[in-house]
Amino acid sequence: MASDVIIIGAGLNGLVAANYLAKAGKRVLVLERRAVAGGQAVTEAFGSGFRLDVLHAGGQLRPDIVSDLGLDVPASRSEPLISVLPGGGQLRLTADSDDRTLASIGSVSKRDAERWPGFVAFMSEASGFLDAAYRTPMPRLPNVSFSEGLPLAKLAMNLRQLGPRDMFRVIRALPMSALELTEEWFESDAVRAAIGAVAVHGATLGPMSAGTGYTLMHNWLNRGGLGHRRVEGGVGRIADALVAALKARGGEVRLSADVKRIILDDQTVRGVRLANGEEIAASTVMSAADPRHTLLTLVGAPELPPEFVWAAQSIKMRGSVAKVHLLTDGNHGLPAGTLIVAPSVRYVERAYDAAKYGQVSQQPYLEITADGAVVSLHYQFAPYALRERDWGQERAVLERSAVDTAAAAFPQLRSSIREIKSLTPLDLERTYGLTEGDLNHGQLILDQMFFMRPMPGWSTHKTPIDGLFLCGSGVHGGGGISGAAGRNAAKVVLKA
Amino acid sequence: MLSTLELKVTPFHERTSRLSVAQNWRRWAGYRVVGSYDLSLDHEYWAIRDRAALIDVSPLMKYVIEGPDAARLLHRLTPRDIDRMTVGQVAYTGWCDEEGKLIDDGTISRLGPQHFRLTAAEPSLRWLSMNAVGMDVRITELTDQVAALSLQGPKSRAVLNRVCKDKLDGLKYFRWMNTSVGNVPISVSRTGYTGDLGFELWMEADQALPVWDALMTAGDDYGITPCGILAMDMARVEAGLFMLDVDYTAAPHAWIEGQKSSPLEMGLDWAVNLDKKGYFVGRRALEREKREGSAWRMVGIEVEWEGLERLFAEVGLPPQIPSMAVRESRPIMCDGKQVGYASTSTWSPVLKKYIALAHVQRPYYEVGTSVLMEVTVEHHRKYAPAKVVKLPFYEPAWKKK
Ligand SMILES: Cc1cc2nc3c(=O)[nH]c(=O)nc-3n(C[C@H](O)[C@H](O)[C@H](O)COP(=O)(O)OP(=O)(O)OC[C@H]3O[C@@H](n4cnc5c(N)ncnc54)[C@H](O)[C@@H]3O)c2cc1C
Repeated sequence: MASDVIIIGAGLNGLVAANYLAKAGKRVLVLERRAVAGGQAVTEAFGSGFRLDVLHAGGQLRPDIVSDLGLDVPASRSEPLISVLPGGGQLRLTADSDDRTLASIGSVSKRDAERWPGFVAFMSEASGFLDAAYRTPMPRLPNVSFSEGLPLAKLAMNLRQLGPRDMFRVIRALPMSALELTEEWFESDAVRAAIGAVAVHGATLGPMSAGTGYTLMHNWLNRGGLGHRRVEGGVGRIADALVAALKARGGEVRLSADVKRIILDDQTVRGVRLANGEEIAASTVMSAADPRHTLLTLVGAPELPPEFVWAAQSIKMRGSVAKVHLLTDGNHGLPAGTLIVAPSVRYVERAYDAAKYGQVSQQPYLEITADGAVVSLHYQFAPYALRERDWGQERAVLERSAVDTAAAAFPQLRSSIREIKSLTPLDLERTYGLTEGDLNHGQLILDQMFFMRPMPGWSTHKTPIDGLFLCGSGVHGGGGISGAAGRNAAKVVLKA
Repeated sequence: MLSTLELKVTPFHERTSRLSVAQNWRRWAGYRVVGSYDLSLDHEYWAIRDRAALIDVSPLMKYVIEGPDAARLLHRLTPRDIDRMTVGQVAYTGWCDEEGKLIDDGTISRLGPQHFRLTAAEPSLRWLSMNAVGMDVRITELTDQVAALSLQGPKSRAVLNRVCKDKLDGLKYFRWMNTSVGNVPISVSRTGYTGDLGFELWMEADQALPVWDALMTAGDDYGITPCGILAMDMARVEAGLFMLDVDYTAAPHAWIEGQKSSPLEMGLDWAVNLDKKGYFVGRRALEREKREGSAWRMVGIEVEWEGLERLFAEVGLPPQIPSMAVRESRPIMCDGKQVGYASTSTWSPVLKKYIALAHVQRPYYEVGTSVLMEVTVEHHRKYAPAKVVKLPFYEPAWKKK
C-alpha cells in the first residue's frame, strides 16, 4: 500500500513525527539507513560483547509528547552531576537542592550553597520558557504574517507571566556566556565550572563563549537538570516504544533502507530512491537527517535556489565530541552518577581553545558514566576538522588522553581496562550519518536558534521543494533528545 | 605603470587613443573606452547604418564554462533551454534571481558539447559559482585575456570576407565559427548591439592589434569607421535593445522591489522557455507572472512630430532634440495620470523620429495606445503626444539575411 508520508531517519525526531502523523490517520513509512532504530539515542552492541548506550548517556522525551502519543517509555531517573576536583574532592550537584547537594556546595562556599536553590528556580523558569519557545512555530522573518505573529504573541505572554524581573533575566541570560551568568550567582570556580561544562556539552563553545547562557538552558531543559537521565535498560528503549506505538497505529519502519536521493519533478517531491535502486513514491517526504545532508546531498544543490544553497552550505556544524568506551573487569571504582572532569572554568575553556585551532584537547573536559563493567567517556573537545593531522593518526592520541584524564580522577580505573573502543567525530559522520560529527545537526548558537534554525527565513520546517519538510534536530525545537522538532514538523505537515 | 586608481585600457587602446580626436572617453566595466572619436556622432552613427563601424567591445565580461555539467549550469542559471542549443549556436539571454527579477543579460555561445562562452555586463563569477555548487564544471573568467571587436553595418560581411581565411556568407544570424585573420586565430559570431548586419570578433588580447589593422586596411574601400559607444547607444535604442542599469535596474543594485524588472516585463518572453525541463533560478516566479500577466512592459514610444512642433512653436522655437541617446527618466502619461517612464530616448537619424524605450503599466502597454511623454520646452515641463509601438523601431531586411 502506498504511503502518504515518507520519513527519512528513525531517530527520535523522525519517530515522534511519524507517530503524530499516524495518530492523525496518515499512512507513514519510516526509512532508516542503519539496521537499528533510535539514531543517536541507540542502545547496541559495540566492540566485543559491550551492549550499551553508545552515544547518548541518557535522556527523556518531552513528557507532553509521551502522553500525547501514549508511549510506554521506561522510567528514567535523574542522576547527580558529580564534578571531580583536583586532590580527590567531589562536588555533587542536583536540581532538587537536597541536603547532600547543599552540604557539598557548602564545603566549597557557604554563600554559594545559600544561593543554589534560587539558581535552580531561575533555571527551571528559564528552561520552561525555552520549552514554550520550542513548541511555538517560528515566523519567517523578516516578513511575518499575522497568522505567524499570533503564536509569537502568545510566547511573549508566556514570558510576561514569569514576571517583569524574571522575564528580563531570562532574555538577558540567552546571549550571555555561562561564565558571566554563573559569576552573577556563585563565587566558587568549581561550581561555575560544573555548570559551564553542562552548558557547553555537545557544543563547540567554551564557557566564555557568548550564547552559552542559551545552551545551558537548552541542556538543562533536555536533562531536566544537570545530571543525565539514565534509562533503565538503555536509551534505545525510547525508540523501541516509539516504533511499537507507530506499528500499532499502522505505520511502518524499514531498517537498512538508505535513502540516496529525494526524487523531484520540477521542485515538487515525488518520492525517494534507496541505495539499492528501489524507488518509493510519496507526495510528502520529511527528513530527520541533518538539513545540510538532506538539502545538498539528498535533494542536491542544483535543484535549489542559489541563495538558499548558500545558506545551507553556511549552516555551522562543527562537531567536536568523541566517545571512548572502556570495557573493564568491573573494578573501575566509579561512583554512580554523571561524573565530570571540569575542575575550573579555565580548564574547560582551555579544552575548548584546542578545538578552535583544530587540535584535540590534551586535557579534555570529560563526562564519565558507567554501566556495569562498561565505562563511557564523553570527550570534549575533539574537532572534526583537524589541522595538520587526520583522525587515522589522532585516534591513539584521543584514547590516551581520555584514559590518562579519567585515570587521574579515578586511579583504580586504569588497571581494570580490558578493551578500548572509540568513536571519533569522523565515525559519528560515517556510522551515524552526522555531517561533520555534529550531534545537533547544526550548532546550537545564537545565529542558528529559533527563527534562524536551520537558516534564516526557513524556520517553518518547509523547504523550497513542495512536499519536503525537515523534522530532525537541525530545525526549530531540535537539538537533543526531546522530540520537539519532530512534533513541530508533524504539526506543519498536518496543516499543509 | 597603471596605478590601481586608473581605469584599465583595452587591447586596442594604442589604436583607438590615437584616432580619438574628441578625447571623449567613457567608463565601461573598469575600462576606458572611446565615447566618440569625433565631436559629432553623425559620422560614426551612419557607419553603423550605411557602411561598416568598428567598435571596441573588449570590456564585456567573458566567462568560459566547461565540463560535464556545463550545459546543466547554464540551464539552471538562465531561462533559456540550453538542451535545444546546438554547437555553433549563440543565444541571447537574461538571468534572474529567485524572484524572477533580472540580474544581468548577455550571450551564450555553445563552443562544444561541454564548452560554452558567456558574456555579461557585470562581474558574475560569484553568481556563477553559487549556481555551480554540486556540479562538475569549471568556470574561468577571460575578460582581460580575450579582446572583442564589433563590426557592424551593411558592409561588415564584405569587409570580413576580405580579411578572414574563411568566407562568412554561410554564417547565419546568432551563429559563430572559427577562422583566422592573417595568422591570428579568431572566432566570429554573427551578433551585435545595433540591430544591423553585424559580427563580433573574439581573439587573444595580445594578438588584437594585427586584427584591428587588417580590418581598417581591408575596410577602407567600404568606408570602415572606428565608432565609439555613444553612436552605438543610439543604434541599440532603434534596435529595441536595452541596457543594464539604464533601462532596467539589475536586481542586486535595486534599493527597493519596485526598481526590479523581470525578463517578461522587459519583453523577453521569447527568451523565457517555461516549457523546458527542470529547475532554473526564478522559474516559479516567472511561471506565476506568466499566468497572471505582467504588471509592466518595456515598449517603444514614438513621439508625434506635429505635436512636438506645436509645443515648441508656442515659444517660437523649432523642436529641440538632443542629438544623442539620453539616459534620463521621462514620465509617460495617459488618462491624466502617470502610467510609466521612458528610460532612454533618442533622435533616430535613420527613421527621422524621436523615440524612447519605456516601462509602461498594464493596460497602457498595448501597441497603439496613445500616451504623452514629458519633454522640456524652454525649461518648462510639457507633454508631447506619442504612441506605444512595437519593438524594434528599426530592423533592416539585411539584419538576419
Ligand atoms: C555523544 C552524544 C551525547 C549526547 N548528549 C546529549 C545530551 O546530553 N542531551 C541531549 O539532549 N542530547 C544529547 N545528544 C544528542 C541527541 O542524542 C540527539 O540530538 C537526538 O538523538 C537527535 O535525534 P534526531 O532524531 O533528530 O536525529 P538522529 O538521532 O541523528 O537521527 C537521524 C537518523 O536519520 C538516519 N539517516 C540519516 N541519513 C539517512 C538516509 N540518507 N537514509 C535513511 N536514514 C538516514 C540516521 O541513521 C539516524 O538514525 C547527544 C548525542 C551524542 C552523539
